[in-house]
Amino acid sequence: MIDLDIFERVLNRVEKPARYIGMEQNMIKKDLDKIDVKFAFAFPDIYDVGMSHLGLHILYNLINEREDCCCERVFAPWVDMEKEMRKENIPLFTLENKEPIKNFDFVGFTLQYEMSYTNIINMLDLGNIPIYSKDRTEDDPIILGGGPCVYNPEPLADIFDMFVIGEGEEVLYEIFNEYIACKKSNSSKDEFLERVSWIEGVYVPKFYDVNYNEDGTIKSMLPNVDGIPQKVKKRIMSDLDKSYYQEKMLVPYIEIVHSRIGLEIFRGCTRGCRFCQAGMIYRPVREKSTETLLKLSEKLVESTGYDDISLISLSSCDYSNLEVLIKELINKYSDKRIGVSLPSLRLDSFTKDVIQEIEKVRKTGLTFAPEAGSQRLRDVINKGVTEEDLVRTVTYAFQEGWSRVKLYFMIGLPTETDEDVLGIKELGYKVKDIFFSIPKEERKGNFTVTVSASCFVPKPFTPFQWVGQNSIEEFNRKIDLLKDNIRDRKVIFNYHNPKLSYLEAVLARGDRKVCEALVTAWESGCKFDGWSDLFDYEKWMEAFHKLDIDPDFYAARERSLDEVFPWDFIEAGVSKEYLKREYEKAKKEELTRDCRLGCTGCGVNKNFSGGVCN
Amino acid sequence: MQLILRVKFTKESYLKYISHLDTMRFFQRMFRMADIPIAYSEGFNPHPKFSIASALSLGISSEGEYMDIELEKSIPVETFIDNMNGVLPDNVRILDGKYTDDDSSISSLIKWGYYNIQFEIDNEKMTQEKLEEIMKAFLSEENIVIKKEKRKRKKIIEREVNIKPQIGNVILKGIYNNIVKLNVLLKTGDSGNLKPTDFLKGLVEYTSLIIIDDSIKIHRIDLYTEEQNRIVSPL
Repeated sequence: MIDLDIFERVLNRVEKPARYIGMEQNMIKKDLDKIDVKFAFAFPDIYDVGMSHLGLHILYNLINEREDCCCERVFAPWVDMEKEMRKENIPLFTLENKEPIKNFDFVGFTLQYEMSYTNIINMLDLGNIPIYSKDRTEDDPIILGGGPCVYNPEPLADIFDMFVIGEGEEVLYEIFNEYIACKKSNSSKDEFLERVSWIEGVYVPKFYDVNYNEDGTIKSMLPNVDGIPQKVKKRIMSDLDKSYYQEKMLVPYIEIVHSRIGLEIFRGCTRGCRFCQAGMIYRPVREKSTETLLKLSEKLVESTGYDDISLISLSSCDYSNLEVLIKELINKYSDKRIGVSLPSLRLDSFTKDVIQEIEKVRKTGLTFAPEAGSQRLRDVINKGVTEEDLVRTVTYAFQEGWSRVKLYFMIGLPTETDEDVLGIKELGYKVKDIFFSIPKEERKGNFTVTVSASCFVPKPFTPFQWVGQNSIEEFNRKIDLLKDNIRDRKVIFNYHNPKLSYLEAVLARGDRKVCEALVTAWESGCKFDGWSDLFDYEKWMEAFHKLDIDPDFYAARERSLDEVFPWDFIEAGVSKEYLKREYEKAKKEELTRDCRLGCTGCGVNKNFSGGVCN
Repeated sequence: MQLILRVKFTKESYLKYISHLDTMRFFQRMFRMADIPIAYSEGFNPHPKFSIASALSLGISSEGEYMDIELEKSIPVETFIDNMNGVLPDNVRILDGKYTDDDSSISSLIKWGYYNIQFEIDNEKMTQEKLEEIMKAFLSEENIVIKKEKRKRKKIIEREVNIKPQIGNVILKGIYNNIVKLNVLLKTGDSGNLKPTDFLKGLVEYTSLIIIDDSIKIHRIDLYTEEQNRIVSPL
């Protein structure tokens, strides 16, 4: 345990000290001396962000279910706290037992976004754990990674001992069982890693060698230990009704990003938007039954006291029994003043019934994501919505009393022209015209439409994985084009920093060579790169320059269709052939239907069972 | 007829790092979990009707907090206490409660706060006797003027305030290993409020004591109202 007297003095010197105290409702604190597997769940961002992440709540409770295991949490301390910890020599510790993470058997990082990678390095360093896996000894914890970014783990291959690819509910227990067996037989860490590399979904990077072509692309990636699988297949839970789901949630004392019950209604998505990694890697779609969800909601309401149930999934309006589910939830909880919310709404499946039910308790803001400004480009990315959908939906929403709408777009999508970019403006103006076309006496509130543009980042396992990203200059030109053309106080234009998206693109499709740049950037002070006020682009460029790495090779380069990718060793379900087919169709502006309406041949049903594919 | 339940509660250990606003949100969840039939305000965004007597600054623990809760229907006080303590964490406890027909709000009733203050000093060879002298001299000052900062929009306005009239009884509990313990009674509430940290500011300003900032621990023992010039419990 860390020195609690010094800890308390430090708490008096930092902002939001409650980030570091733990003790929340539903926290589980065990006697560490009586535990076989001590697992530290590490979220490489601050408490306020990490505690809003649903996966944390699932795995925290799942691991703690086992009496021989414990799961404790650790987050990246904010910069003020880090400074104090370094000054007072407080090693990075978990919130439950205030135990240094170095004393755990596993430190499991969740990789939710690429821009958190330097925080991982920083957390290891704060925990007095060597950064590179080769420098760690038998006494150091095993560093494990999971989450969506492990679908290309290669930029972190030299740091992590192992990755879990896919959904963690089952595979973690299997890993723990091997660990306990190895501990009993006094096996070495390497022996343990070899044993787990046989488990489906586990990837141990050091057991694979990468060979490169002269142009820097990958020639081959092969196991260097006999018999280890050449391909790593992702893990999924085939039946969500039968899989573990936590009945309790940690309830933070401080206001965090999402202070609410997150009720996961299904995994996967059938829409097939071509830019969307989540829509590909989480296939097949698997729904939880309404009955299960109602039961779970009851437990969660009882154990948290929250007044908001948010229905979580990649596209919640697609839940097949949505209207019934919402009606039942509202009937059950409106007396207790507990509301139901949907985090995102699709323009084409937004129905009056759903929204009227939600409105009964309270009115939330309306957010839609047309993603692209023109119909042509929306067809390229296979975002099925039309302008008519938008017109119909906002007209209805304004009549019902809404007055603020947010629209999300991307710029830099493949084949984009200036006409497409200006389409973003046109849609914003159209929404404004719709509002003011309603008779004055029927309009409510103070109208604004926020038009937000992010810069497109091509991701692995999407039909756009071959695409070169727009240059920073090109992004800036498009942003200026919109800035110059949107001249209306009621239409607010926001945009993301292209430099940040450029770096995200480097890390998203990077290979093992990028790892050194990550460490170098961290050494020069980079951390919290996702926080625009702390992001230091120049330091990153210096790091690449120093190591003679060309970031454009990863971000801007258009790949040939036969290139071997760093992530090709992963079997994510969707086949490379399907992705190629989708890429070709995109260029021809051809749509692919929602696969609930009929299989589109992505390949996931060949390797995985469960959900709508059955 | 309004049903107002007035209760006394604690907020201790690390939960002193929960801000007043977060404490309000925390109680909202706790009332819901404990199935308390709390009354809600009317209007577009209804909120539960309860108010805490005196906002506790971040970092101060307490065993004497008070709040008024308006209920929709009457429940026995014991039921309220049992149900709440059933869901509350160990470091927040409901100690006592009663229905009140008091017209004045709990926050307007509070006049005094009684604190235990502990801090480390950086003065060499400090003894109990010396410290007693220092405290005696300090308390016999006619005026104790400190600078208070007030935020007005973006500007910070400094003004001088005489805090002497806001200091009540001060008891030196002792000094051990250069750790000083005091019990102090300070004006608290809408009609004059002296923060314990401002009291310490005066102490540093007017005496030779060198207080180590991050060693300060403040604990509120209780809050009081006044009845015929006597200090009494608000419950």
